[in-house]
Amino acid sequence: MKSHRLILPALLALAIGAGSARAAGELNLFGWSEYIPQSVLDGFTKETGIKVNFETYASNEELLSKLVAGGGSYDLVQPSDYAAEVMIRQNLLSPLDPRLLPNLKNIAPEFRHRPHDPAGRYTVPYMSGTVGIVVNTEKVKTPVHSYSDVFTPAFKDRIVVLNDTREIVTWALYTLKLPINTINAESLAQARPVVANWVKLVKVFDSDSPKTALLNGDVDVGVVWSGEAAILWKENKKFQYFIPTEGAHQFIDVLAIPANAKNKEAAHKLIDYILRPEVSVLISEAFPYTNPNQAARKLLTPEQLANPASYPPGSPKLETFRDIGKAAADVDRLVTDLKSAR
Amino acid sequence: MSATLTPASRRRWPSGIQLLDSTLSGWTALVMLFLYLPILVLVAYSFNRSRLNIVWSGFTADWYRRVWENGPLLRAAQNSLVVAGVSTLLSVLLGTVGAWLLHRYRFRGARGLQTLVAVPMVMPEILMGISLLILFATVGMGLGFSAVIIGHVTFSFPFVLVAVQARLKGLDPAMEEAAQDLGATPLQAFWLVIVPCLRPAIVAGALMAFTLSWDELIVTFFTTNAASATLPIRVFGMAKVGLNPMLNALSAIFILATIAFVFFSDYVKKLGR
Amino acid sequence: MSPAAKAGAALPGLIDRRTPRWRAWLLLLPMVTWLVLFVVAPTAILLVYSFCERDEVGRVLFTFTLDNYRRVFDPVYLWIFARSIYYAGLTTVICIVAGYPVAYCIGRAREEWRQRLLLLVMVPFWTSFLIRTYAWITILKQEGLLNGFLRLFSPGTAGLDLLYTPTAVVIGLVYAYLPFMILPIYGSVEKLDGALIEAAYDLGAGPLRVFSSVIIPLTLPGVAAGTLLVFVPAVGMFAITDLMGGARVPLIGNVIQNQFMQARDWPFGAALGAVFMGLFAATYWVMLRLGAQEEDSVA
Repeated sequence: MKSHRLILPALLALAIGAGSARAAGELNLFGWSEYIPQSVLDGFTKETGIKVNFETYASNEELLSKLVAGGGSYDLVQPSDYAAEVMIRQNLLSPLDPRLLPNLKNIAPEFRHRPHDPAGRYTVPYMSGTVGIVVNTEKVKTPVHSYSDVFTPAFKDRIVVLNDTREIVTWALYTLKLPINTINAESLAQARPVVANWVKLVKVFDSDSPKTALLNGDVDVGVVWSGEAAILWKENKKFQYFIPTEGAHQFIDVLAIPANAKNKEAAHKLIDYILRPEVSVLISEAFPYTNPNQAARKLLTPEQLANPASYPPGSPKLETFRDIGKAAADVDRLVTDLKSAR
Repeated sequence: MSATLTPASRRRWPSGIQLLDSTLSGWTALVMLFLYLPILVLVAYSFNRSRLNIVWSGFTADWYRRVWENGPLLRAAQNSLVVAGVSTLLSVLLGTVGAWLLHRYRFRGARGLQTLVAVPMVMPEILMGISLLILFATVGMGLGFSAVIIGHVTFSFPFVLVAVQARLKGLDPAMEEAAQDLGATPLQAFWLVIVPCLRPAIVAGALMAFTLSWDELIVTFFTTNAASATLPIRVFGMAKVGLNPMLNALSAIFILATIAFVFFSDYVKKLGR
Repeated sequence: MSPAAKAGAALPGLIDRRTPRWRAWLLLLPMVTWLVLFVVAPTAILLVYSFCERDEVGRVLFTFTLDNYRRVFDPVYLWIFARSIYYAGLTTVICIVAGYPVAYCIGRAREEWRQRLLLLVMVPFWTSFLIRTYAWITILKQEGLLNGFLRLFSPGTAGLDLLYTPTAVVIGLVYAYLPFMILPIYGSVEKLDGALIEAAYDLGAGPLRVFSSVIIPLTLPGVAAGTLLVFVPAVGMFAITDLMGGARVPLIGNVIQNQFMQARDWPFGAALGAVFMGLFAATYWVMLRLGAQEEDSVA
């Protein structure tokens, strides 16, 4: 019985101790867990003396809902392009001061001034990637280069796709040669029969780790994030990545400063630190995404540059997502309806 | 109170009961196997050389060393312990007293109150998380440990309450009366007579509350700040860059530590006797 | 005053449930305050949202509309709702059948073993949900441990195709909720009076008869509590359908989750949640009422 009496005060002391660290020169970072390697943050703290409090989320949607509901106070966030656009439109982001970001010149021009932030005032590209086709070439001998190659009865129950309603509808719109960023009742009506056929063929919908089903051999073909495909390729070269010929979704994960940030100066410092080529290359080493930092790309090994999922050959048709507003609800209803009907 | 079957009384029974008993024990062993099967796999994969949690590619104990070096992960585990510990204590307090009062007294609105208690169990986590966040933001309360613990107590105390209530049903009311006749105040009667009798249900309720709190993701996400982030927040956030066997190693350490603690604390008690 | 309380007054000692005095209300105050602050207030916020609209960028506009509720009763969502109830019901039944004997054995074990066994039931769940689920995937996948095991006995068979099917979802649900059935039943079993069971045997009842007419009725409150603790959370669950079912068949939990995440239509999500919670509360209240009437008739 005595030990029980000791637990409560001990736990309370722990709780208070853990909550009381609030020194000067702190930065509250809200990002994907481990997406900014701990070594980078440690290096930054060592150089500037600024302590980084790293709070993590698992998806853009989590980030958005927490900010919209009024939670948290952050100095730096790490959304993808379309989420950054929503935040700009809701006045949740603060404009950047280019004078504090001399290393911004390292970013390749094709990653600046994209539709989510046309003037480049609010966001700095961090890493980029695409959504494309990954094929287990040991099992599949026919060429699979387009969405219509993937979604054929031959691959019934051998397909994994992202569990994301917008993505699935986008691929259907690409095969119909319709614009992917203006979604209305008419284009959805055209996409409906296409999506209806597709969902019947899919074995797994998984946004978090689509590589699992591929590695396990439960499926042979996938439409997945390029980062997942790059990890698969590193594991086994039989997993080949292709950008669909009809066109593909490109995402750019960015760094941005919320409007209510308390330590904007430190946030600028961290952004500029990450933009240094020798720091940026550390991130590329940890995560095989496309690095928009052209100065850092010069430091990559030939093997890293040869990973087709990180640096796809040729000049494929790539588009970023725009926020589609109220149509998001219609897209969600369409896919939910078709999934339940199977 | 809780009369138990002594071995002597058991022996007097016909052999049919022995047959039934051994069937039930066999079944229990099977269910335990079901519960521990994935745990065995999980522990085995903590020694997997591959960075990915998926295919086996050789033995290494390196992940255990890497857990030890991963400050943020250990910090998150510590936070989880604090949050689960405090919210379990509060849930047990709130749940046990609540169950007793709802059982002991009949009053207007008792059924409404009982229904209200069950609502957090049915409330989808995303709704509870977002609405609590809006509430805290509206009243200007900061996020962090207290907000997380409030959320956790809200969804876990009904589990304690329901478990304790089930035990109270059919409890001999004469017991409390006898205590009061002997001069105990109702409070004394509750503490000295009722609580010891409820102990098995309280233990069961506490175990459920701890488990729910330990592994909760969504309510925690909406109520936490950087300092109070728990293990599930870290783990789910890692999905983008890929889960690795470090998490298996951490889970394995925790399970082994718990089992060791249970048997060791017993051993210490025996030494004390 | 309720009829039961009157009956209690008429038969003192039989049902001792008095009207609370100030002391009891004082004791109830913390729980009532907690419920009002952290259950009633958030629910009220949700109710307000459920009558609002979303604007073009996903913010909530404070207007008054019934559109969200009209959408909830769209057959698409009603079917999903029915399917969720079916899965949760199936899970509950399997949990009772699988869990009751376990609870019984633990409750009848030697006293120093009981709490240890109880802890052993719970400890697997002190691992991370994601890691545990990936372990299940390792077991159930086509080239997984289960099929490897089956092939040991009948080489050459194709094996079972379990992962990413409704069966896998049910396995996942039963696994996740089984302890929440075992623990409350244990609470009831543990207090069984050995003398009562012995008396039944002395009167010549066989073991099955003792089990069905003495033991099970006495532990019914535990089973009822377990049913509540398993069924209710299982209806709204979403993560297991995603990971083990391949997210092929949406359940109500997934739909609500999606409204707040992917569709960013909070008012509709709130309306779905309000109807879901409202239906549950109404059912539960009616069951409590019926239960109380039954108790009265016994008294």
